[in-house]
Amino acid sequence: MATLTAAPVRPPLVAWVRRHLLSGPLNTLLTLVFGAVFVAAGMAVVRFLANSDFTILRVNLALFMVGGFRRDELWRIAVAAWLLSLMGGLVGGLVAAAAAARARQTGVVVTGATGRGRWSVLRRFWPFGLFLVICLSLTETIQPTLVTVLGIGLAVGGYWLARRWPASWRRFLYLALPILGLAAYGVMASSGLGWSRWGGFHLNLFLTGAGLLLAFPFGILLALGRRSSLPVVKGIAVGYIEVIRGVPLITLLLMGVFALGFFLPSNLRPSDVTRVLVAITLFEAAYIAEVVRGGLQAVPSGQTEAAQALGLSPWKITRLIVLPQALRATIPAMVGQFISLFKDTTLVAAVGLGDVLAASSFANSQPAFNAQGLARITLPFVALAFWAGSYTMSREAKRLERRLGVGER
Amino acid sequence: MISSDFTDATRTKNEPMIVLEHVDKFFGSFQALQDITMSVGRQEVVVVIGPSGSGKSTLIRCINRLEKHDRGRVVVDGIELTDDLRKIQEVRRETGMVFQQFNLFPHLSVLDNVTLAPRQVRRMPRDQAEELGKAMLARVRIPEQAHKYPGQLSGGQQQRVAIARSLAMQPKVMLFDEPTSALDPEMIKEVLEAMEELATSGMTMIVVTHEMGFARAVADRVVFMAEGQIVEVGSPEHFFSSPQEPRTKLFLSQIL
Repeated sequence: MATLTAAPVRPPLVAWVRRHLLSGPLNTLLTLVFGAVFVAAGMAVVRFLANSDFTILRVNLALFMVGGFRRDELWRIAVAAWLLSLMGGLVGGLVAAAAAARARQTGVVVTGATGRGRWSVLRRFWPFGLFLVICLSLTETIQPTLVTVLGIGLAVGGYWLARRWPASWRRFLYLALPILGLAAYGVMASSGLGWSRWGGFHLNLFLTGAGLLLAFPFGILLALGRRSSLPVVKGIAVGYIEVIRGVPLITLLLMGVFALGFFLPSNLRPSDVTRVLVAITLFEAAYIAEVVRGGLQAVPSGQTEAAQALGLSPWKITRLIVLPQALRATIPAMVGQFISLFKDTTLVAAVGLGDVLAASSFANSQPAFNAQGLARITLPFVALAFWAGSYTMSREAKRLERRLGVGER
Repeated sequence: MISSDFTDATRTKNEPMIVLEHVDKFFGSFQALQDITMSVGRQEVVVVIGPSGSGKSTLIRCINRLEKHDRGRVVVDGIELTDDLRKIQEVRRETGMVFQQFNLFPHLSVLDNVTLAPRQVRRMPRDQAEELGKAMLARVRIPEQAHKYPGQLSGGQQQRVAIARSLAMQPKVMLFDEPTSALDPEMIKEVLEAMEELATSGMTMIVVTHEMGFARAVADRVVFMAEGQIVEVGSPEHFFSSPQEPRTKLFLSQIL
């Protein structure tokens, strides 16, 4: 391998500024105007941060994070978070190990697959990390910090373990993933408190995760149904998708919480969280179905024909040839859909659930903070939480796209 | 056992591999195939030529049921193609097909492309399938590309992988649908060589192509089609030196 070593050509800062910011009278004027706007905005933010009293966040941090969850049962959330951190680390390690193995075989080094350098994780998850640091700075005891540090440690440990795990035993790691997920759920559910006490940002995260997990397979089935040659199956799929897409989510949530009871037998009284989760799943499945349908249409018919000619059964053609290519093509649209759902979970505040948005208005109505215009503190905090999650998702999706793009025609 | 061996043997000797009887095929009101009757013997290589839109591709796509014929009979290795899905699958397992656009699976490595069908359709264990797959890649002379992805290969290499992918199912018949038409000129030769080797090894083949040199050198019979009908059939010598039909003469004068 011949390597060319050349000094990186980087124009000095002054030259860069001159070329990009001051290249003409109009450009210079724009630079000055926007520079002034940015400086003014930056100063406003600094003044806001310096002059504001964040006591309302400090006092209510637990409310924002876990809502009305019983404080003596908080350890359950910590344990569940640890289990999920470990799971996340294992997934990351498995993905990296697979990418490294493939790079060895094909000779193609996949950029962004194994990360660049030891601290690439920080660069990847910095929005979320920033949010964590802000939250921890608002805590009054050491416990949340310890929980977080241990969680990060478990994630790193899981990553390390999965990278070094012998390849021939890898299937046990894959088996461990759903077990960890179920264990996390079990720890939460075994309290006997039920979902009805879940709340805060934790509820938003749960509704997003569980909603996606449930809606995704359902959505794929609907998309396949919509392309079915059987008129009945196709009719049901089209009817379902078009009815659900014609209804606002808030209507479905209201119906789930207030109208569903009239249609259920009287001994069946699902909790509000269950009802909301069902409504979200039904709603999201219709949108995911349309995204997947777009991907299915992007797979050329020659792919199906080649698979048919080899004698593969229709189901195997769908599962092994069409769906993998279709889902890959839908990543950008799918992530947009996920982010949109993540933000839409705040609508549950409108049907009386105590999510993070509801927590903020509850905090604002507390006697100590009432009528002081403290929404200027709490709402930006809620916004920050969603921004950190959404932006991280969007960045990770871009990375995934880049990685899966390798080997494409 | 003995009786089945006996019938197998007689079938092998007497019955042609592919029989088409009075096959019609319509796309809407357009008749793509009109009263096609032909048979292809075992180990025979038939080259189908004709102007574009003459129904050549439709003809071979009816043989593995990528197109459903509307009238007549299509019989492959004694199995008649009907709406019975099991019969269709049986025929497809024994019939390889190579497409103009290669149609490799871009999300699978070359080796996975080749081993997918043996593993999924023949239920072959992975290591056995990979051994077979590597042998097939060696046969089309690209064993070193096994772990690459189709997108990393040249057109000629991709088409040879497509041939290897079909061969891995150990088919009794190979159908080629203009296998070199999408290739750059310098890559046509390597694909034709692979096909020639296959013909020499005794594979039953139907090849739709515009490569007259290949037809002359490799074909046992040449079929000329126009407007959905078989116009003329003959040995290459007969066909290229003394064609009988005016339509054939016109076509040959245009391309040679």
